[in-house]
Amino acid sequence: MANTLRLYLTCIRNTLEAVMCLQNFPCQEVERHNKPEVELMTSPELLLNPVLICRNEAEKCLIETSINSIRISMKVKQADELENILAKKFLRFLSMRAEAFQVLRRKPVQGYDISFLITNYHCEDMHRNKLIDFIVQFMEDIDKEIVELKLSVNTRGRLVATEFLKQFI
Amino acid sequence: MASFRNGSPALEEILNKLQSMVIVTDIDHHLYEIGSIHYNVQVFASNANFAYISIWMPLIFTQVMDPYKSLDCSLQDIMSRLSDTIEVIETPKEGYVLTLRLNVDRFQQQSKEDCKNIIKAISSLQTIILSSQLKAILWNIGSQDTSNELLKPIKIVYHPREPFFITKMPQQLSVTVPMRFKDNSDVILATSFFQELMDVGNSWAHDKTPRCTWSPIPPPNLRGEHFEHLITNGGFVTFDIFSKHLKGEKADMVVWILLKFNEYVKYHVKQCTRAFIQRKMRQRMGIMCEVIQNARIRREASANGMQTCELKANCQCGKKLKKISRPVALRNNFKVLTNQIKLFRSRIKIKGLHKIKRHWFGVPKFTSFGKYKKFT
Repeated sequence: MANTLRLYLTCIRNTLEAVMCLQNFPCQEVERHNKPEVELMTSPELLLNPVLICRNEAEKCLIETSINSIRISMKVKQADELENILAKKFLRFLSMRAEAFQVLRRKPVQGYDISFLITNYHCEDMHRNKLIDFIVQFMEDIDKEIVELKLSVNTRGRLVATEFLKQFI
Repeated sequence: MASFRNGSPALEEILNKLQSMVIVTDIDHHLYEIGSIHYNVQVFASNANFAYISIWMPLIFTQVMDPYKSLDCSLQDIMSRLSDTIEVIETPKEGYVLTLRLNVDRFQQQSKEDCKNIIKAISSLQTIILSSQLKAILWNIGSQDTSNELLKPIKIVYHPREPFFITKMPQQLSVTVPMRFKDNSDVILATSFFQELMDVGNSWAHDKTPRCTWSPIPPPNLRGEHFEHLITNGGFVTFDIFSKHLKGEKADMVVWILLKFNEYVKYHVKQCTRAFIQRKMRQRMGIMCEVIQNARIRREASANGMQTCELKANCQCGKKLKKISRPVALRNNFKVLTNQIKLFRSRIKIKGLHKIKRHWFGVPKFTSFGKYKKFT
């Protein structure tokens, strides 16, 4: 792993470890409602300052925290048009199957490619450390997968081109 | 992939049926292929001995005076081989280019192999006609040596919306195919494919193939063409064809490849690459889901439980190595499952509680010696 990526991921991991201290907190506005405050943003006293971690212009991670929920939004690296389209396709594919991940948001926050919403219920149901591991690994895997996909699409294209040109011989 | 085949699959199917059919009523089939090729198969019950197969296809090159003149020579080969079964009607049916008369009796009497050959020949007629048109144009251009017509592109229309251009250069022909795609993602995938095609085509291993170039802007030989033909989102692919590529049997293949290039690219981009990406994404998603599932506390607990069970089972296996048949094992598993369901559904049970209940809380039974009397 590149040093800069390691530092970036370590920074995200440390921030997540710090902010993931969630507790059950009912809604202050509506009785018998319990909603993620980071989404509703009804009471400013329940929100913490959002943290923005940037590796570069194209790669950044926004961590918004509240008393009972965290929202993590990511912008994935897209070096060229092919990477851009592959990233879009892949993230859309994952967002459409968000129920399989439980913590994945169906729609990303504006300006980002993918978002996660972790509530206190998720923290009760899952190991905190493993949840953080998942987020970090997800970020790592996305980059890797897009690069791999790009390489395989190009390799495949080369094979098809070779077969096509063979017909002339 | 059907469109890359020389023969028409739908016509093949109809002729296959005709081979083993007893004709009682009139048959009239109209088929449209690739949007522009039109077939008509007619058999009349009054004259069931003959089937009429008519074909219409677009002129791929409109500037030739007699575009179907080239059909004669290419059809001659086929007709000479199948003269006892098929004959060309001199005046084709109105609205069609060519009408063939098939002798159904003879056709049905043929052996399986012969029938297969006849069907193949008839179904691939459209390919032969189209190829022969393009071949004639290529030869025609190749033989011309007028300096005035140099670099003037000729528009070839195989698909009405996707024309391509042939330009005569000194000692070579340049075939330029404008590429258009509906989807933006297709454009990007196709662009990467064209770049690979260019790299491979320029490599040493493929020096015998026509040189292939791709440019996002119209090449200089298309200057002066209509603006609508020059607007593309996929750029322009150009093949430089020399006389060595059109020698002998190669010519047919080259012509067919040029006609089908657009479809080939679209097939590769739309179906193959997209499906490939989808498959890869699904695989990766499975791995990612596994990580989040492992993070769950309950799952871990159940996994631990499973592990202990497995350990226990292993220990037991060590004690008594007994072979259990599959039905017995299934029955045992079923018993375990039903017991678990029972345990889950039943209330808490304490041994001997029912005795205490009966002793202390039981309602004494009273027996009456008197009997009921019936009132009448």
